[in-house]
Amino acid sequence: MTVTVVTSPDDSRSIKRELTRSLRRRKLQALVLVAPLLLFILFMFIYPIGGMLLRSVYSPDFARAMPATVAAIAEWPGSGTPPEAAWAGVASDMVALQQRNEAGPVAAALNVEMSGARSLVLKTARNAGKLTAPYREAMVTLDPMWNDARIWQAIKRLSSPVTPRFYLAAVDMKVDEAGSIVSQPEDRQIYRSLFLRTLLISGVVTLCCLILGYPVAHLLANLPLRISNILMIFVLLPFWTSLLVRTTAWIVLLQKQGVVNSLLVWSHVLTDETRAELIFNRTGTILAMTHILLPFMILPLYSVMKTVSPVYVKAARSLGANQFVAFTKVYVPQTFAGVAAGCLLVFILAVGYYITPALVGGESGTLISNMIAYHIQKSLNWGLAAALGAILLTAILALYWTFNRLTKIDIIGLG
Amino acid sequence: MALPAYADRWERIWHWVYLTFCTLVFLFLLLPVLVVVPLSFNAEPYFSFTEGMLTLDPAAYSLRWYRDILQNGMADPTQLFSGWSWIGDAWANSQWIHAAKNSIVIAIGATILSTLLGTVAALGLSQSILPGRRLIMALLISPMIVPIIVTSTSLYFLFSEIGLANTYLGLIVAHAILGTPFVVITVTSTLSGFDRSLIRAGQSLGASPLVVFQRVIMPLILPGILSGALFAFGTSFDEVVAVIFLADYDQRTIPRQMWSGLREQISPTILAVATILVAMSILLLTVVELLRRRSERLRGLTS
Amino acid sequence: MEQGRSIVHFVNVGKTYDGERLIVDDLSLEIARGEFLTLLGPSGSGKTTTLMMLAGFETPTRGQILLNGQEINRLAPHRRGIGMVFQNYALFPHMTVAENLAFPLNVRALGKAEVEARVIRALDLVKLGGFAARRPAQLSGGQQQRIAVARALIFEPELVLMDEPLGALDKQLREGMQYEIRELHQRLGVTIVYVTHDQAEALTMSDRIAVFDQGKIQQLASPTELYEKPRTSFVANFVGDNNLMAAEVDTLRSDHLCSVVLEGGDKVIAVATDDLMPGQKVMLSLRPERLRLDPDAGAGTSSRLKGVIEEIVYLGDHMRIFVRTANQVRFLIKAANKEPHHGLTKGGMLTFGWSAQDCRALPV
Ligand SMILES: Nc1ncnc2c1ncn2[C@@H]1O[C@H](COP(=O)(O)OP(=O)(O)O)[C@@H](O)[C@H]1O
Ligand SMILES: [Mg+2]
Repeated sequence: MTVTVVTSPDDSRSIKRELTRSLRRRKLQALVLVAPLLLFILFMFIYPIGGMLLRSVYSPDFARAMPATVAAIAEWPGSGTPPEAAWAGVASDMVALQQRNEAGPVAAALNVEMSGARSLVLKTARNAGKLTAPYREAMVTLDPMWNDARIWQAIKRLSSPVTPRFYLAAVDMKVDEAGSIVSQPEDRQIYRSLFLRTLLISGVVTLCCLILGYPVAHLLANLPLRISNILMIFVLLPFWTSLLVRTTAWIVLLQKQGVVNSLLVWSHVLTDETRAELIFNRTGTILAMTHILLPFMILPLYSVMKTVSPVYVKAARSLGANQFVAFTKVYVPQTFAGVAAGCLLVFILAVGYYITPALVGGESGTLISNMIAYHIQKSLNWGLAAALGAILLTAILALYWTFNRLTKIDIIGLG
Repeated sequence: MALPAYADRWERIWHWVYLTFCTLVFLFLLLPVLVVVPLSFNAEPYFSFTEGMLTLDPAAYSLRWYRDILQNGMADPTQLFSGWSWIGDAWANSQWIHAAKNSIVIAIGATILSTLLGTVAALGLSQSILPGRRLIMALLISPMIVPIIVTSTSLYFLFSEIGLANTYLGLIVAHAILGTPFVVITVTSTLSGFDRSLIRAGQSLGASPLVVFQRVIMPLILPGILSGALFAFGTSFDEVVAVIFLADYDQRTIPRQMWSGLREQISPTILAVATILVAMSILLLTVVELLRRRSERLRGLTS
Repeated sequence: MEQGRSIVHFVNVGKTYDGERLIVDDLSLEIARGEFLTLLGPSGSGKTTTLMMLAGFETPTRGQILLNGQEINRLAPHRRGIGMVFQNYALFPHMTVAENLAFPLNVRALGKAEVEARVIRALDLVKLGGFAARRPAQLSGGQQQRIAVARALIFEPELVLMDEPLGALDKQLREGMQYEIRELHQRLGVTIVYVTHDQAEALTMSDRIAVFDQGKIQQLASPTELYEKPRTSFVANFVGDNNLMAAEVDTLRSDHLCSVVLEGGDKVIAVATDDLMPGQKVMLSLRPERLRLDPDAGAGTSSRLKGVIEEIVYLGDHMRIFVRTANQVRFLIKAANKEPHHGLTKGGMLTFGWSAQDCRALPV
């Protein structure tokens, strides 16, 4: 079609201006509708997550609690013990902490850097009032551990508010006394293997879900609607049943005095003494999580398979393929979108799982989320919890983003 | 799926293996959910079927764990049922009733908040003219993707700062955040299937924009809104991680109560609660299914 | 036309969506009360846009639209009282057929009894008496179409717009519905503005046809005139089959006739449709059914040519014969299947001719 330009340029400009104005008005209207939820999510969700992630690199609490120490230790190059000014700083800070009853967090933070520091700090704080100059002698008399250069190096590391130490800790590394980055000693390495275990268990759960879910989704998609609607209840009822109910059910089934063990004893496969450990370990976690996440695999698979026309398989068979070849070479490739969506959904959910591993996972079946909760609630090492959370979140977002780029499938719409 | 007449023997065997496998998976899905139901009527404090239960001896069954739901936490649990004072005691002091009240209040609050915000946002999102639509959509549904532990701990720090920790409002806000993606998704997908020429048809027939909204748009997207709202309700009703971090005893919900039950003093009372919850989910499932069918019928997908 | 006769008047209406391209370009058009006017044109020519401006769903960028003498440029669509039939029917899926029909009456707050009576009458009008309680999804395409027509007519608008209403129906149903709509129009006396891209449909149904191309009306005329006397080569090409040949005016003659030279040198006589000048480039339009196979038999044959038969297509009631002349001009001839045409074989020679009145020289 040829382009007919609006005759006079003046005219054209005013028309364009009006069009732009009405366009802007409509954009604004749409924005106004979206704004309440967007602001809600930004302020109550994105902002706090940002705040928490910030904790993984920014930790001003120590510096705030020990202002005199931090000021004095800045001059100290880091070898031997620091000059008297730093000792005096510690002593005066300890007095203030004791008055405000806030020595605990400082002790905890220092203890992470150097074990045994907790009791040192608490003891010093208790006795801070009695310390007199020269502080070096007074403090060493109180506890000879103050003579250890490593405690001062730890204080110096903590005195900087921006720190990589949480991320290092989250991958089982640390800054050693000499200031270089090294791996934690073997016996203190837990996080790398925990991440690996989380990935492994999630992978196994995803695979189990795929193996169990694919044939079922295929059956549901190919049965007459009347029957498949009824069978769908088998998938949807667990889906709508409370997570805790399903976890409870697995505990009831699998515990030592539970249904499965009793059944095995009753049928003389086991005796009362050899009841099997089916739960509170990795097996329990995998079994329960597979059961809980299976609907998230079946539903996207089903909705993709529903759109696959049976014509193609028929065509393949008419071209001479047997059932197996027709299925694997013609049908399965057409369901890849569903496979990808289901696997991604299950994997993402599994990686972030908390409740079920906490209840049925025992020692060997807990995941990274459980460790984050532990550091938030018990050890109060929030920076480390934030670093672990940041790594988990980054991994999930990266996975989701790659998936979207690769497949352009909207898993949300399917789920 | 009948097998064609020309199927050979291997195909037949394969077909039966396949059907058996599917049956087993269906049982795997459903049995664990259903197994708690009979066990909740166990007269003994065990998690397994007793001899008596298997021989259907009426004495092996009892409602004691259901009674325990009400009695647990009562000021005077030994009191026999005696009218109003008993009911009053249970209503005021039973731990599970306390939890149920909290669950309902929080779930309703969260549902209203997320349905309102989500529906209005979906109306905006469905307009292709909206600048940055993909980004906004990604932000709005991100609570579904972010691991719940990250969300909960983040909110824990924020709420401690702004005084929402251990409050009902805090929990309602937290659950609304988790529920809005479902509302946004169901309503936008309803709207995307919405035929815009219906709006023009309504206007050409003489209806003002308001009347068109009331009588044409609303009835057609209402099923989508309702099922989004049900999803939000179910999410809140089932949520426990945020409650663990953001509530203390006063705001304890049913899942939170179950959580402590499972970790501390596991008793068959939990099975009785679980049975009630299964009954509720059957109800919820039925409602959602009816809504879905109604919406399909309305949109003329089936007759 | 005085005010009483014309119901709609487009005055120099222009429309652009992006401020650059005119989708409707300086459109002036008067629609007489009670007439059946069709907007015909290829897809993208601005028909729907024109209709939507009249219905009120788009605002003209410039110019005026008058309804009964009143400017309605900024009048909201629901206040215009114009009935409309949409291509996809746009029946409300959540309402029954009866509720769909009652909708425009209810929003006008008519009494219950009146509404019921009118719904029954409307259903009878479109011969769907027993379908009141059905949902639109339970009706066939043709039935939905008829309900859509009934719904547009039930509130007795003076003017009804239809945008490709039969586009989704198969051929047989479409022909039946064309007839029914035409009949309804005659019975009720409403004014109908009808949009289609199907020239056969336009020719069967309309009192007048406005042929659209690139946002402009190329010709506004009755079906006969449009077919017999196309004024531009676009119209000649779009309406019906045609032999179109580039040519140059040689000499002007009396009686609006002129002599033109085809590419390759053949000279023929044609009707000069406009004020032509010798040497001007023109397009010759020659309907294939007006070409004669036996030019010497009938009187009035003014031009004759000879060529090789390239292809014969047998179509039952007629045959299509493709002929190429020595000067490489290609002709399509439609010959009625009255008597067997012996001796017509592929590769054979054929002499054909036409009357000067049937050959039109159109300015390009
Ligand atoms: N809302 C719109 N925004 C931008 N361009 C449009 C819009 N509607 C139609 N157009 C353009 O206007 C031209 C004419 O469209 P239309 O009036 O629908 O033609 P027709 O009905 O004759 O096929 C087309 O090129 C189309 O792309
Ligand atoms: Mg059109």
